[in-house]
Amino acid sequence: MIECKDLSLVYPDGTQGLKNVNITINPGEFVVIVGLSGAGKSTLIRSLNRLVQPTSGGLYIDGENILSLKPNELRKLRTKVGMIFQHHNLVKRNTVMKNVIAGRLGYVGTLRSLMNLYSKEDRSLAYENLKRVSIEEKVHTRADQLSGGQQQRVSIARVLTQQPNVILADEPVASLDPPTSHQVMNYLRKINREDGITTIVNLHFIDMAMEYADRIIGMRAGQVVFDGHVSEVSERTFEDIYDRKIKEDDLRGGNEPYESNKAITS
Amino acid sequence: MNTSVLPPPKPKRWKSFWIKTVSILLFSVLIGWSILGIAGGLNIERVFSMTTIERAQTVIPQLLQLNGEQFGRIVGLIIETLAIAFTGCLMATVFSVPLGFLTAKNMMGNTWLGQVVHSFFKVWLNATRTFPEILLALIFVASIGPSPFAGVLAIAIGSTGMLGKLFGETIETVDMAVVEAMQANGANKVQILFYAILPQVIPEFLSYAIYRFEIDVRASTILGVIGAGGIGTLIVISAANRNWGEVGLIVLCIIIVVTVIDYFSAFIRRKLV
Repeated sequence: MIECKDLSLVYPDGTQGLKNVNITINPGEFVVIVGLSGAGKSTLIRSLNRLVQPTSGGLYIDGENILSLKPNELRKLRTKVGMIFQHHNLVKRNTVMKNVIAGRLGYVGTLRSLMNLYSKEDRSLAYENLKRVSIEEKVHTRADQLSGGQQQRVSIARVLTQQPNVILADEPVASLDPPTSHQVMNYLRKINREDGITTIVNLHFIDMAMEYADRIIGMRAGQVVFDGHVSEVSERTFEDIYDRKIKEDDLRGGNEPYESNKAITS
Repeated sequence: MNTSVLPPPKPKRWKSFWIKTVSILLFSVLIGWSILGIAGGLNIERVFSMTTIERAQTVIPQLLQLNGEQFGRIVGLIIETLAIAFTGCLMATVFSVPLGFLTAKNMMGNTWLGQVVHSFFKVWLNATRTFPEILLALIFVASIGPSPFAGVLAIAIGSTGMLGKLFGETIETVDMAVVEAMQANGANKVQILFYAILPQVIPEFLSYAIYRFEIDVRASTILGVIGAGGIGTLIVISAANRNWGEVGLIVLCIIIVVTVIDYFSAFIRRKLV
């Protein structure tokens, strides 16, 4: 369970990133945070594993206040909270395997990881996770040889290799084309359903949010302006969140069910 | 009729016109002044006299009559020269890695201490770079005696100045997003260094080091002139004995070795990055 109590964040330059955010996220939920750029979506998601430091309020994961964690405890927390980024953030010159096994870094000792001495279990876990996102045949390929969608799948495998309780995804599909976006979102939802991993995704495409989320949180100017189950959401809700009419740009489209998607969801 | 539209004429800038005129004038005055200065001390008759031509006629053909008596010794000294360049460059590469991290802004953070350390090492590297190798070699020959080791130290310090700066700049171009990703999955500082930073910079580091080795080979051929080991010593001795055939052979050997190294260095560097 993740609880934000009056969580606020002011950046050093005075920008108000978050303003009195109060939300509770239950285990196993698939939450999509929507809002325009600059609304505080990224700030909120990065506060949850303290890549940015909230300036006031409380942030509790399973009852523990994570704002007061020491560096060592913070690293332990981060092994349990995986993160996926818009630009997948793989090491381009390393192989897919080396990128995925990096998910174990928080668990194995420094020396072992530098010598590349991973246990059989770790290596098979990494390979299993590559299989789950159907990219196992690229295991020894260099990451820069893959397409954008493939790289994002590798980064999902990396996060899974961490064996997290929570996955945070910061605009995971913003730099992908529509069919690939749906493919990536499908994998995320499938993992959420099968493993019961709490998943929090930032999106700015309304149609994708509606399709994949259990629950939608709307943000504007650092504040939560909507929080509810997806069934309570209508176009009106989005117009309230965005504070303007819905435009073509707010939709990703392209969900003519295409073969590989069917294969994933079935 | 198709009337083609021309772009509006470029606005005339009087300011830039005056700056141009004045600088051209100043430049011509400077050139004229230097020519006048040389003309006083220059003995044109001597430069273009028969003696110059005669001397050139004796030396140049002799340079081409290669004298192979000492060929074994020349090869040995060229290998020594390469060894000096290699050892010096290797030392410089090893020293430059930590220096590179210390001079990279993104590694030193925004703290007061970090910035002081960053600027200190930056100034240090700049200072090192201002010394030519031959001057460093003079200092080392004077302090530890004439030996190839003096040459190694001179090369090492000269190369550190350049490699440290280039390594630092390479580290500054690292994709910090990857570093962030590693932080987000709970890696510690050392793991981040080996998993996120080094894979991004090592090929560039090696490429710069090999390029610097190329420069060092050329620099170390001359170090022997002041007794810091290598082929340079023999050049001085042969020239003093007016053994032009041997000088010619040495120069030819250097040309061949340097060309081969340049070629291989370019080839390896192309494969690396």
